[in-house]
Amino acid sequence: MKAGSLALDAIPWRRRLAFRLVALFLGLLLLIQVFTFALVQRSIDHNARALLASSLDLGEQVLRRLVLQNATHLSESTRLLAADYGFREALSSGDTATLVSALENHGERVGASFALITDAQGNVQASTLPNGAALAPMARQAIQQTEANADVASPGAILPMGKQVMQVVAVPIRAPLTIGWVIMAFPLDDRLARDVKQLTDMRVVILTQTPERGWQAALSLLDEADLQALLAQWTPPTATPPTRGNRLLSFELSGGPHVAQLLAMGPAQQPIYAVMLRSVNEAVAPFQQLQWAILALNGFGVLAFAIGSVVTARRVTSPVSTLTRLAKRLASGDFSAPIPPHGHDEIGALADAFEAMRQAVHEREDEIRRSGLTDAITRLPNRAGFSAAVRDAVQQALTRQQSCAVVMLNLDRFRHVNNVLGTDAGDQLLRRVAQLLRDDLSQTAHTVARVGGDEFAILLSPGGVEEALAVSRHIQKGLEATIELNGSSVDLCAGIGIAACPQHADDDAALLRRVELAMHHAKQAQTGHAIFRAEMDVKSDAALSLLGELRQAVEQREFRLFLQPKVCLRTGRVLGAEALIRWAHPTRGMVPPGLFIPFAEQSGFIRQITSWLLGESMRVWRQCADQGLTLQMSINLSARDLIDTELPARLGTLLHAHGVPASAMCLEITESAIMDDPNRAQQTLAQFHDMGVQMSIDDFGTGYSSLAYLKRLPVHELKIDRSFVMNMHRDAQDAKIVRSVVDLAHNLGLKVTAEGLEEAAAWHLLAQLGCDIAQGYWIAKPMPADQLPAWAAAWEAPTAPLVQSDLAVST
Amino acid sequence: MSKPLTSWPTALCLALIGAVSLASGAPAAPVVITVLDAGGQPVANAAVSIEVTGARAQAAAGTQAEMGQRFRAFVPSVLVVQTGTAVNFPNFDTVRHHIYSFSAAKPFEIKLYSGTPASPVVFDKPGTAILGCNIHDRMAGFIHVVSTPYFALSDKIGQVALDVPAGEHTLQIWHPGLGDKQPPERQPIKVAASSGARLTVRVGVAHQP
Repeated sequence: MKAGSLALDAIPWRRRLAFRLVALFLGLLLLIQVFTFALVQRSIDHNARALLASSLDLGEQVLRRLVLQNATHLSESTRLLAADYGFREALSSGDTATLVSALENHGERVGASFALITDAQGNVQASTLPNGAALAPMARQAIQQTEANADVASPGAILPMGKQVMQVVAVPIRAPLTIGWVIMAFPLDDRLARDVKQLTDMRVVILTQTPERGWQAALSLLDEADLQALLAQWTPPTATPPTRGNRLLSFELSGGPHVAQLLAMGPAQQPIYAVMLRSVNEAVAPFQQLQWAILALNGFGVLAFAIGSVVTARRVTSPVSTLTRLAKRLASGDFSAPIPPHGHDEIGALADAFEAMRQAVHEREDEIRRSGLTDAITRLPNRAGFSAAVRDAVQQALTRQQSCAVVMLNLDRFRHVNNVLGTDAGDQLLRRVAQLLRDDLSQTAHTVARVGGDEFAILLSPGGVEEALAVSRHIQKGLEATIELNGSSVDLCAGIGIAACPQHADDDAALLRRVELAMHHAKQAQTGHAIFRAEMDVKSDAALSLLGELRQAVEQREFRLFLQPKVCLRTGRVLGAEALIRWAHPTRGMVPPGLFIPFAEQSGFIRQITSWLLGESMRVWRQCADQGLTLQMSINLSARDLIDTELPARLGTLLHAHGVPASAMCLEITESAIMDDPNRAQQTLAQFHDMGVQMSIDDFGTGYSSLAYLKRLPVHELKIDRSFVMNMHRDAQDAKIVRSVVDLAHNLGLKVTAEGLEEAAAWHLLAQLGCDIAQGYWIAKPMPADQLPAWAAAWEAPTAPLVQSDLAVST
Repeated sequence: MSKPLTSWPTALCLALIGAVSLASGAPAAPVVITVLDAGGQPVANAAVSIEVTGARAQAAAGTQAEMGQRFRAFVPSVLVVQTGTAVNFPNFDTVRHHIYSFSAAKPFEIKLYSGTPASPVVFDKPGTAILGCNIHDRMAGFIHVVSTPYFALSDKIGQVALDVPAGEHTLQIWHPGLGDKQPPERQPIKVAASSGARLTVRVGVAHQP
């Protein structure tokens, strides 16, 4: 992860989208709720006050109505008495005793405190109380009250009497004109207060004023303490009658604050006030419950909203997190997993866009990879592409218990085509070869690839060694035809390696390595094609054991130096010898170099072998020199030796150690070895040349020789390949080649050695052609080094040409 | 209170006939009395009587008057009779009445009856009897009893016309506002033989429409 990118986990919670959303929504909701609550609170307060006021009004009305109802009830019953014929007759006849008894009887029946009868003018005629005359003012007030309310129901007169408050009603006695009044007085008692309490939930206290004791309660349901508190806080209204505004009073009683409505009841001179008490706490209790309910509702709302918004925010942000994770996976290059759809909302659209991006990037990457897997020139898979194909094939072969095979070919002399005809021609050649391979294999499912500059490979899947052999033969046949390139004809041939899985390798890397080894082997051995063998691979078990044996061979001195003499064709003298290695294996006997030298070259063991050869040759040279025999020792160098930068130094050390002059050593190098890495080879050769070591081009004429190189290389000798020499006395063409080579070499100032001299006729012919040195079975087979001095002593060169006329070589 | 006007002229005629026929010797002269209240408004149904010395106090035997009950009201509502007059109380309603009087002038009661009671009530003392019905409280009637043959009820414009022998007499005026306890207002009246008398009297009663 880049340092600058924000990991989701690294975002502080305060900056996360989900938190911000939740905080915003909750904040808004809380704001609204606080506002709403304030409004509701205000409204409740207002309503509570209004309710309180209206309930006080109601209480007043109820009290009025109760008092009126009381009066009406009493009046009605009294009216019955007043209408009684006998009662009126008794009154007319002035029968006072009867009247009083009738009053007493009726007053008792309706619960009156006292009853009076007055004449039409209000003079007391009869009374249930002894001091009837004293009650006349009360009677007159009641009569006035009744007469003033003739057409409506009258509550009668509310009058104080001692500690009590009396409700006094007056009913006229008609005969049929009003001839008198019946007056009945009833105390306002606890029953009234209880009724008020029951109907309005208000408590009523009726206050009267007496000159002796001041204000006191005529009627009260309050306990003594509350009553005293009320009286202590009581101030009578100043205005008479009290206006509505100052009728509302406040009292602090034991049950908390109370508001009170004042109702003036008595006459102006004798004020009587009904105080209607209402507990504020009781009145607002339902509102408080409402407030709690609203608070609880608000709390629940906030909670529900919080949960809802958290869930919503999660639903928004968790896909975002998921998409972020997926996007990071894309950034890390993993395009395999598709991004799942996220529904049909904006997030879904984003996810779809991500998915489209993933596919597009994936396809582009595939395209890039494909182009990375394809060779631009031939349009065939390149090495990487082929490796992938082989990997799949091996896997398939292993799982299906089949086999697959790889054929790999390296074109000979391709570099020369490139160098001589140009890279365009080289590319053209490669395309032709690719075409050839493709055409040959068009009917099969095999894969053709260009795996290197001049290397092609064919995968046969499924396929075994037999099919691979058939394919390789087919290729060789195809390559036999000459290819025309820009007017030049090019002869192609190739080294072909074959390896199969699981026969030769059970993984793709090993299979590729081994087929390459087989290919190199084929080229080296010039056998056309080679099937992989275990010893080709230095890493194989067989190779490891061979390597071990070789090491042992050095330690146990199992190597033997054989020498094959080189003789001067002119003088017949023994000039030198080619040093050859033989392995005296303790169990297998003499092992020919062809069985272990290629392996040694691959494994790098050739260095030890070369060193051994050099040292042993020098030792032998010293022995011979001591015996008076001065020889030049020729030693073969492999391609690997040529790129071994330490070899010149090592050679110098050896020369010095054995006391051998550098010119006594001749290093034989094949053209192909030089061509493997011409630049480095040239450097090494230059070093040898500077040391004074002689050098020779081995197997001259078999490779794709470049005269330009020949000119530049610091060599002293050419060795004509045995294939030209062996038949030269029978084949005029070969003889011409030999003479041309000899002429070429001599013109370049080089000596010429002919190998493969196997008949006496060849000796003379070579001598005649001007060849300098000869080597071959006819002279001597390779022999143990220690036999050479004896052989040299016994050697006699032919003195005269045997069949001079056989030669058909004209100058 | 509404009064059936159809019946009271009849009674008036009877009274006039009685007064004229019973006048002694001296020639009668017309007397017109106008009764006004304190506000100067005419007072109807005021009983105007003139006590003439030498005239008979008692009505002739067999003299009768009538106060019926129609539509739950006394008809007429005010009746003036001479002492000794027998008054009938015929009930013209379909419901029964129980009329009474607690007045000192003539306490009586006629319990629940229909039609005309068998015996009339004789009013033998001067004064006022207030009549009620024990069943119908709203019913009220007044019978004013005078000891002179010269009497009449004021009409709608408060006027009374009487033929009275010339001489100096006593004028008495009673109206329902005085009830049964207060005596009539009295004042002297001089009746000239040639011109009679013309007099306007103010009484202390509020206007009664």
